[in-house]
Amino acid sequence: MVLYDSSALSAGSGGGSGNSSSSSSKHPQTDIDGLLAGAGYKVRSSELTQVAQRLERLDTAMVNSPADFTQLASDTVHYNPSDLASWVDSLLSEFTHTSALPADGPGFLIDPGVNQTVPNSSWNDQSAPQIRRNVCFEQNQNHQVTVVTAMEEDSGIRLVHLMMTCAESVQRGDLGMATSFIEDMQGLLMRVNTVCGIGKVAGHFIEALSRRIFQVVGHISGSSAYENEILYHHFYEACPYLKFAHFTANQAILEAFDGHDCVHVVDFNLMHGLQWPALIQALALRPGGPPFLRLTGIGPPSPDGRDCLREIGLRLAELARSVNVRFAFRGVAAARLEDVKPWMLEVSANEAVAVNSIMQLHRLLGSDSTRNSPIETVLGWIRELNPKIMTVVEQEANHNQPAFLDRFTEALYYYSTMFDSLEACPLQPAKALAEIYIQREICNVVSCEGPALVERHEPLAKWRTRLAGAGFRPLHLGSNAFKQASMLLTLFSAEGYCVEENEGCLTLGWHSRPLIAASAWQAAPDGASEVGLINGGGNINNNDAL
Amino acid sequence: MVVPLNTYVLISNFKLVYNLLRRPDGTFNRHLAEYLDRKVPANANPVDGVFSFDIIIDCSTGLLSRIYRPASADEPQPNITELMKPVTSDVVPIIIFFHGGSFAHSSANSAIYDILCRRLVGFCKAVVVSVNYRRAPENRYPCAYDDGWAALKWVNSRSWLQSKDKKVHIYLAGDSSGGNIAHHVAMRAAESGIEVLGNILLNPMFGGQERTESEKQFDGKYFVTVQDRDWYWRAFLPEGEDRDHPACNPFGPKGKSLDGIKFPKSLVVVAGLDLTQDWQLMYVEGLKKAGQEVKLLYQEQATVGFYFLPNNNHFHTVMDEITQFVSSNHE
Repeated sequence: MVLYDSSALSAGSGGGSGNSSSSSSKHPQTDIDGLLAGAGYKVRSSELTQVAQRLERLDTAMVNSPADFTQLASDTVHYNPSDLASWVDSLLSEFTHTSALPADGPGFLIDPGVNQTVPNSSWNDQSAPQIRRNVCFEQNQNHQVTVVTAMEEDSGIRLVHLMMTCAESVQRGDLGMATSFIEDMQGLLMRVNTVCGIGKVAGHFIEALSRRIFQVVGHISGSSAYENEILYHHFYEACPYLKFAHFTANQAILEAFDGHDCVHVVDFNLMHGLQWPALIQALALRPGGPPFLRLTGIGPPSPDGRDCLREIGLRLAELARSVNVRFAFRGVAAARLEDVKPWMLEVSANEAVAVNSIMQLHRLLGSDSTRNSPIETVLGWIRELNPKIMTVVEQEANHNQPAFLDRFTEALYYYSTMFDSLEACPLQPAKALAEIYIQREICNVVSCEGPALVERHEPLAKWRTRLAGAGFRPLHLGSNAFKQASMLLTLFSAEGYCVEENEGCLTLGWHSRPLIAASAWQAAPDGASEVGLINGGGNINNNDAL
Repeated sequence: MVVPLNTYVLISNFKLVYNLLRRPDGTFNRHLAEYLDRKVPANANPVDGVFSFDIIIDCSTGLLSRIYRPASADEPQPNITELMKPVTSDVVPIIIFFHGGSFAHSSANSAIYDILCRRLVGFCKAVVVSVNYRRAPENRYPCAYDDGWAALKWVNSRSWLQSKDKKVHIYLAGDSSGGNIAHHVAMRAAESGIEVLGNILLNPMFGGQERTESEKQFDGKYFVTVQDRDWYWRAFLPEGEDRDHPACNPFGPKGKSLDGIKFPKSLVVVAGLDLTQDWQLMYVEGLKKAGQEVKLLYQEQATVGFYFLPNNNHFHTVMDEITQFVSSNHE
């Protein structure tokens, strides 16, 4: 791709060769594009992009409703065609009034007449171009804007380019430029289908970028636990990721508990306890009878005097009683996982312990140089507990990179894929709220930094290293788990999801891109792990954690 | 592939305007067209070494042309009586230029063509005669060709345009429909024995009944649609004729053979993103097969109208080639 550099767009008199037009070669307004002036049009260089966008908009409108356009031709009064920006604007506003074209405005307006639908466009879908002639605005090194017209690019990919460029400006600290990109993108969004496809994802990312740029601190970071739980529940319903996580973890826990009469599950994030009815029932049906099951559910403190954890516990106890499983529940309220101390869990010596972390460990990866990193602390006491099994489910993404642009790029790819997969799911009320759940993740990844940034997803490969270094060894999730997970997918019957086995771990993804990874671990025997001793000391047992 | 932003704005604007002007019933909003067209007057005062003036070539048809001449260093302000002073160099190429506009749009005094002609004078050290031929749909085939032919005869008979050898060194040039006109005027010249030294065809407008690959591939992608091309041919060709009419398709089934004809050498510039390129390439092939001298300049990443603004490599490449083309006969 060849980009032309800024000197090609020089304002001032004439062009490079000095053969300027017959009009005066001096332009008092230095911002006027000299070459266009020679052709009889006065346009400010700074307005070129806008004029181009509006021309394109009119063109699209014309394609979509040619009858209205012919009307426009005969009815409009054309003032000063040399003032191209104004002329185009006047046409646009005429057209807006005479047809279904929505006027410029904030928000995502969807006009089926104007927007070309991009059905089910995944990131890599380069098939039929959706809009016939497309424009992408790019910046080269000299911060000059050039226009790229490419045959196969559609509006979605243009949006992507713009987003990347905006993120790059943000990384550079050029918030002024980033802001103008936000405006461009919001304009583009008007002409893109934001109901599905890249337009929808773009909307969320642009929102997140805006928040970052304008330092909006709002309901997203300060959302209530209650809201979170509702959204989580809908995310659970709408698509298979959490179901897969629960299913796979439960299968592994079940196998680990084989032969034990006293078992204790520690759930790092109870939510509505959606994972546990299935386990309770599976234990009830165990040959030889169910064990005594204790469940310790960790969750945020409840507001206004309620004890939400206990309420969930009571419901689970009801269920357990109905299937004759001896059951005890304990809730541990903690604002952050790192605030949990092992003594709070009251693990007894004769229990087989299962530690269950569904998308929680990554939240511990924010480090504060003044103290032990929370992840090491927590992994340390988990290992101390010597659980029969630790089930870990994490987003399969690399969102914990220090450079913002890298994180942004990765997130864009990841969440695009996730949104695509969501689209394949049957239309249900749950989808809308599931989307908001995902949107909040996006917002955190993109607009937050430091302690506020909790969605620090890391890929399986990194977790393997980390966990091995913390004294854990992997337990292979058996072929049983794989079969059951695949069956779950068939039941769910959405084409495109795929379960893969990855060195004893299972991943669920969309069309060969894994999005979530489930793994199981056990404390490695002392002396067996030499890699990455905690805090560099020779003592694996980290007494500091207690 | 990149189109500079200002070029994009320029050509998109034309596209938009042209869409406003063409009516589905084949008529043309000439009044609005003339209003929207950015025009510039001739200027007998040299600007960047070029001055221009308008003259009537044929009173019966009202055929105007704008003549561009290089100002001589020692006479910065030509006298009104000296506009048609004889050319002073030993050899001066006289380029008869036919502006584009798909036979319906633009004029010799359109700003974009005024600057283009001035640039040609500068590069080629030539006199450029830009012909304000009659346009479609009000004036169909063969009016544009008749006007071109009239201009050629007029130029050929001007003593003040003669080079030292007492001959007028004529080149025909044009873009889009102008390129098409140049070809047909050259044909007439060849049949009548007037010598044309070379044809310069910039994105010449040719077509045919068949739909070619490039038409399908690029339809609507780079400012031009097959639909608008069809409209312009319907507006120019005689009523009831299809696109295999020899005006549109000179090497098509109804075309005339050029074998053995003393046709000028041709320089044909084809933009790689132009949907009519297959027709242009077939034109080049047709010339070659007829044993005529032709050079093809294929600019892969160029769109239509790349030559309007000097902000891209294609522009400079093509200008250099044109300069060489009109000087290669002279050592």
